[in-house]
Amino acid sequence: MAYEITLITTMAISILFALSLNFITGFCGQISLGHAAFMGVGAYTSAVMLKAGFPFLFTIPFAGTFAGLLGILVGFASLRVRHDFLAITTMGVVFLFVGLVRQQEFLGGEIGISGIRGSPFGRIGFMYICLGLAAVFAMFSLAVKRSWMGYVFASIADNEDISRVLGIDVSKYKLIAFVVGTSTAGIAGALYTQHFRFVGPDSFGFVESVTVLAMVIVGGIGSVWGVAVAAAFLSVMPLLFQFVNDFKILVYGGLLFCMMRWAPDGLAGIVSRWIKRLRSTS
Amino acid sequence: MLYLELFFQGIVQGSIYALIALGLTLVYGLLRILHVAHAALFTLGGYLGVIITNATGSFLLATAVAMIVVGFVGIAVYKLAYEPLLSKPPFISLIASIALFIASEEIFRIIFGPYGLSYTNPPMQGYFELFGGFFLKYGEALVIALSVVMLVILGWFAAATRLGVSWRATVTDPDMARAFGINTQNVRYMNFFIGSALAAAAGVFVAMLNNLVEPSMGSVASYKALAIIVLGGLGSIRGTLIAAMAIGIIESFGTIYIGHLLDRDALAFAFLIVVLMIRPQGLLGAK
Amino acid sequence: MKIKSKLMTATICLASIASSSIADNIKVGFNVPLTGFAAADGTSALNGAELAVEQINTAGGINGNMMELVVYDDQASPKEAVPIAQKLIESDNVVAAVSGSYSGATRAAAGIFQESGVPYISAYAIHPDITRAGDYVFRTSFVGEVQGRAGAKLAGEMLGLKKAVVVTLQNDFGKSLVAGFKEVSANYGIEIVGEYEYSIKDRQFGPIVSKIRADNPDVIYATGYFFTAGPLVSQLRAAGINTTIIGQEGYDSQKFIDIAGPAAEGTIITTSLDRDSTAVETQDFITAFEAKSGNKTDMVAASAHTAIKVLAAALQSSGDADKAALRDAIAGTQLTASTGEISFNGLGEVQKSVQVQVVKDGQWHHHSVIHDAALLAPPTE
Repeated sequence: MAYEITLITTMAISILFALSLNFITGFCGQISLGHAAFMGVGAYTSAVMLKAGFPFLFTIPFAGTFAGLLGILVGFASLRVRHDFLAITTMGVVFLFVGLVRQQEFLGGEIGISGIRGSPFGRIGFMYICLGLAAVFAMFSLAVKRSWMGYVFASIADNEDISRVLGIDVSKYKLIAFVVGTSTAGIAGALYTQHFRFVGPDSFGFVESVTVLAMVIVGGIGSVWGVAVAAAFLSVMPLLFQFVNDFKILVYGGLLFCMMRWAPDGLAGIVSRWIKRLRSTS
Repeated sequence: MLYLELFFQGIVQGSIYALIALGLTLVYGLLRILHVAHAALFTLGGYLGVIITNATGSFLLATAVAMIVVGFVGIAVYKLAYEPLLSKPPFISLIASIALFIASEEIFRIIFGPYGLSYTNPPMQGYFELFGGFFLKYGEALVIALSVVMLVILGWFAAATRLGVSWRATVTDPDMARAFGINTQNVRYMNFFIGSALAAAAGVFVAMLNNLVEPSMGSVASYKALAIIVLGGLGSIRGTLIAAMAIGIIESFGTIYIGHLLDRDALAFAFLIVVLMIRPQGLLGAK
Repeated sequence: MKIKSKLMTATICLASIASSSIADNIKVGFNVPLTGFAAADGTSALNGAELAVEQINTAGGINGNMMELVVYDDQASPKEAVPIAQKLIESDNVVAAVSGSYSGATRAAAGIFQESGVPYISAYAIHPDITRAGDYVFRTSFVGEVQGRAGAKLAGEMLGLKKAVVVTLQNDFGKSLVAGFKEVSANYGIEIVGEYEYSIKDRQFGPIVSKIRADNPDVIYATGYFFTAGPLVSQLRAAGINTTIIGQEGYDSQKFIDIAGPAAEGTIITTSLDRDSTAVETQDFITAFEAKSGNKTDMVAASAHTAIKVLAAALQSSGDADKAALRDAIAGTQLTASTGEISFNGLGEVQKSVQVQVVKDGQWHHHSVIHDAALLAPPTE
């Protein structure tokens, strides 16, 4: 049972992480190639606090806050640079984060922080916490999407310049999206720490940032449930694909490529086209 | 002397970065795509360079063959990955490119094994010792020399030949170029051919300097080259060259003197972020 | 009636043979990186472990039962290693496990194995916290600091080289080795005149080479794996720097010599495998490994081989008893394996001498041995 519980918990954390990126990228159209840095900030914050003796739930708001602070910083930076530059700037953020973290002894340096004690709620209790948080954020995302703020985001994502002309304070909304998305990533980081009980500088780098972006795009950028399904599947894919062992990563790359090539609007796109086809035949 | 040597080491590394980043800038300038899979062509060039040198004994032959073969592979990558996605938003081709790159690393590992390959007779060993105390290895000098040669040829080609001029026209204004009867399809092929050939050359040079090619040797190039073209100002060739040299030199001095604070990649990206905050369009980018 | 009862007896016999042959295999878990950046070491480690299992089974198995290796690819990632550990414990019901992986993954998995009371042996991962996970976790190779200290003694006392430049690989392996070196370097009169760091992705060391020439040391203590040390040593020699280079077990592979070529001559390393050893176990391992895999041996293969042998010996002596008894049997190991005399202290760390090898005529050969028990004492908590 513990194995299945671990898988579900992993999926829940990935869903939360991916949805947090979806908020920034899907809703506001800003491509971030460094989202793992924010999860890392949250994870390390939580790890340091847990080792200092603080209870786990107490660390969550701190994890989110610190991640959000970095998010504001990066958000301001993103306002200065154009679209294509933003992706690379966010990439720079994650490399800087990893580069700085690995040299700080109080963060464990290269060795990272290990021996973090288990959740006081037990494995199953913790799984429900993760699922709960993921569900809450999913509903929040859906609510925002349908609200006036969601319309503003969509307009910015669609065409920033026209939005500005229409009188929308584009900067303010971009920052809001960034702060919400990054602090939630920080919370996902705290969950990560409690789940794997080990954080190291190699856990939150460029590869992880690309992976979560892939989850968002495979799910269908902007689609809450699409991203959730994609995140759930992709997060445990290496384990499901153990039977292909040697070719695991090749299969992953191949699948991703085929998705982009033949279904670039992601799972959400596939399903909506399917539904349309069903409706048109009936 | 030490500082002069470190400077030249920066130029060597910068030359390699330039050869790789140039292909990336060419593709971006033409298609607005971030061609991450470019690094796979770099790796392929490295492998071909080692294999052909080991088989024939001639390093220069290997370089030439690698450049030509990889040039065509680059065209194939365009046809396979980018042509079908031209009408889609750019992040789609970005992810497709990343997926292709990830898959390519695995393909190299599966075909050539995880241990990497080396030259049986490493070429260009030995060094120059100039004006008392300045050392430069043969291999390093060759890299600088060949890079300069290639860039000069490229510059001449773009400015003085009909093909080169039509290429520049297409980059500047594709519709106008088409109106003048330029075959944009051929221009694109040529673009990818040249960029990929340069990346292959870089791969061969790196293989020669390190005496090692590995499946993952492109991983640093994949993101570093992106940083360089952004630093230079997306689409500006001169900017890319300057940025490449700048990053090479900064890494050279930085790894020695502040290496304990930040690692190599963090240094490069820190520099990039600082520049972008001051000049958001990059060093030579259009405002 | 008679036929019926004969049939029944026959069926019962067949059934018990069938079920007992399924129950015959002793399953041992093995997490190892087979894809990703550490695939080279992982492949070697797997070969070493598989060889050990083959040898054990050919010799009759463990108390008549065959040993079975349950292998999962963890990509050297802690994120993958945790669910793999759980799968091994719950779905595959392994009696114990060995880690053929790097430190991050091993440390993460160790916690899981400790909690479930399943013995876990780290073959070559050096993170000190691995054995601190608990009394069910053991390590058959040196902790980084111990090897680093040995390197300082080798440089300062045995070779008499006093002016050192230290080149550190920026990961737990490199840093812990250097920490050990610096801890005792002053005791051997070593002055460190330069310290440089590089990332695991670096292969181009031009700036460091130039700076080292300016520093003009007697000895270069450089940490790394064969794929970083090979290029580094090659570039140092190509630049005309002929200073003695001391490495560690990360270099310990024929691939290092392949990459560095003639530049590898004279490189000295601290490690656990002595290729010129007259010990039967070592020679048997070397010959058998080369026959099986077609490659020359390296440290990770030897370490994985040793770890499996240790486990097998403990399984043999503890018999069919439970995991707690197995753990005790491992703790009481006194075994001569390819990488030396294996016995564990209270923390599960191994105490053994350090082998020193040197590259001569394109091959690794015996240089010396360091037998300093006080210096090489592993951590006890």
